[in-house]
Amino acid sequence: MAVLNLKKREIECKLVYYGPGRGGKTTNLEYIYRAFTKHVTGELVSIDTDGDRTLFFDFLPLGVGKIKGCDVRVQMYTVPGQVQYSSTRKLVLRGADGIVFVADSLEVRRKKNMMSLKDLEYNLREYGLSVFKIPLVLQFNKRDLAEEGIPLMPIEMMERDLNRQLKVPTFAASALNGEGVGVTLTECLKVTLKSLQKQLKWAQ
Amino acid sequence: MKSKFVLAGNLAFLSLGDVLQLLGTNGSTGVIRIKSRYADTPGVIYLVDGNPRNAKNGTLTGLEALQSLFGWIEGEFEFNQEPVTVEKVIQKNRMEIILDSLRMLDDQKIDKMGPASLVKGAADATGEEVRIPFIKGPLVDYTCVVDEEGFSDGERITEEGKHGGWIWVVLEGTIEIVKQTPRGPASLVRLGDGAFVGSIASFLMEGTVRGATVIAVGNVQMGVLDSQRLATEYSCLSAEFRELVLSLDKRLRQVTSRGLDVLLGRDLLEESLEDKELLIAQAANDHRILEIINGQASIVRTTDHGKVLLANLDKGDFIGQLPFLDVGHEPHYAAVYGAEDLETRPLDTDSLRADYDRLSTTFRNIIEHTRNCISVTTSLACDSRKRKVRTQQ
Repeated sequence: MAVLNLKKREIECKLVYYGPGRGGKTTNLEYIYRAFTKHVTGELVSIDTDGDRTLFFDFLPLGVGKIKGCDVRVQMYTVPGQVQYSSTRKLVLRGADGIVFVADSLEVRRKKNMMSLKDLEYNLREYGLSVFKIPLVLQFNKRDLAEEGIPLMPIEMMERDLNRQLKVPTFAASALNGEGVGVTLTECLKVTLKSLQKQLKWAQ
Repeated sequence: MKSKFVLAGNLAFLSLGDVLQLLGTNGSTGVIRIKSRYADTPGVIYLVDGNPRNAKNGTLTGLEALQSLFGWIEGEFEFNQEPVTVEKVIQKNRMEIILDSLRMLDDQKIDKMGPASLVKGAADATGEEVRIPFIKGPLVDYTCVVDEEGFSDGERITEEGKHGGWIWVVLEGTIEIVKQTPRGPASLVRLGDGAFVGSIASFLMEGTVRGATVIAVGNVQMGVLDSQRLATEYSCLSAEFRELVLSLDKRLRQVTSRGLDVLLGRDLLEESLEDKELLIAQAANDHRILEIINGQASIVRTTDHGKVLLANLDKGDFIGQLPFLDVGHEPHYAAVYGAEDLETRPLDTDSLRADYDRLSTTFRNIIEHTRNCISVTTSLACDSRKRKVRTQQ
């Protein structure tokens, strides 16, 4: 649910990076924060949560134009997946407008990816959202590790594992050097804004 | 009064994190006051242009105070637009405070302020350390306290099965509720300041048998309540409301005994559900409030570890969720099964509500305390079930 701020003539929406721990959510956001400095307003908030980090910053995607004469401001979050962080998760996931699911390409993480996606579905449902309806983009991260001889899952296999029912856009990426990070974000923004525009039209 | 605040509401609906975000994006300047029944002084947060500048909670100030306020899960907040002149003590970014405080709350670094929490108890028979819930009552209303009595550590305040009609309120200290079982005494819960001992049923002749033993943990100061006054108040209530209060009491006793059954491996679930049909399904959108005029009904919660029988109800008992008194059972968190000969009649919520609103503070506190005990005991019963299923595996 995007917030319309009439004072500032802004539409504020929420993008959330979700995925298994140590899968590269934070690396994605850190890269965006560094690489798109012009678009970033405010500072990067980083909270150390057990086994993972929660990040937050404000993002002004330039060049996407205006919706109904309002600028779009995006709040970017990562969310801690561990069960115990229910209060944080609630604040982040409630009213999320778009989600990037960052999957880990390491063979050994296959199960973790699937479990995390199941978790996402469950958590979204708790806040009245559906994983099939919310704007969602999948990212298969850590592709660069193949060069170092670490066994990765083939893209087709990950598609089968995670995207068979969802049928959402997917991107291969290696967040550490920024490959695929930008396109993932742009696509997610695109589908999110499209869905927002639809909602606003419907509301009229 | 209404026009005084520009934003006010319940924290259970809109958490402090949400309130701060909302006022933050709005760039508001003013003061947020948070009131809780479990704190003597309200918490205060000063905002300038949507950013927290300083906060106060009891003796705490600054960031520490603001973070501690995230532990107030239940309560009311009010925001008032006014010029703020306090010194800027809090330097951290708004979102950082919100996210970090929530993380601390989840990591149990901030104490939750509410009626129930868990304390470490003695090891049970299996050697496994059990955590006993600890229930705090609301702030003590001294107008009804006629006498004070001190008990030293280990002293018994009431004895299960003996007669006694007094109602006590814990003024200071901790007490433990113990029930006798065939396997020896079992500690159920610990109660703290503001909690009550004795039930409203003791106004009735048949209700004077103590349902549990109460033992002082450390030195305890207890207040004796003016039973005469409470009994008079009780007798002035409408017949429906009196029944409701008694039924609530009974439900607590039922949940306690059923919870003990689970603990002792006596499962009455099948026996109780025999010849009964589903009346209200769990999580159904059914807002009826019914009184049983004939037959029996059972309240059953379905958990991840199977079904748990919570209470068997009879004639005179009520079924359904009262808007002012949510015990956490049907319809959202439990199902109702009714016997074939079950007959019910709908109750008038509005008149019950009117009765409830007219209650004196002490009376209302007793009822709310009973409600808290019911929901805590219910989760206790479900936990025993979980442990049992685990040990069987």
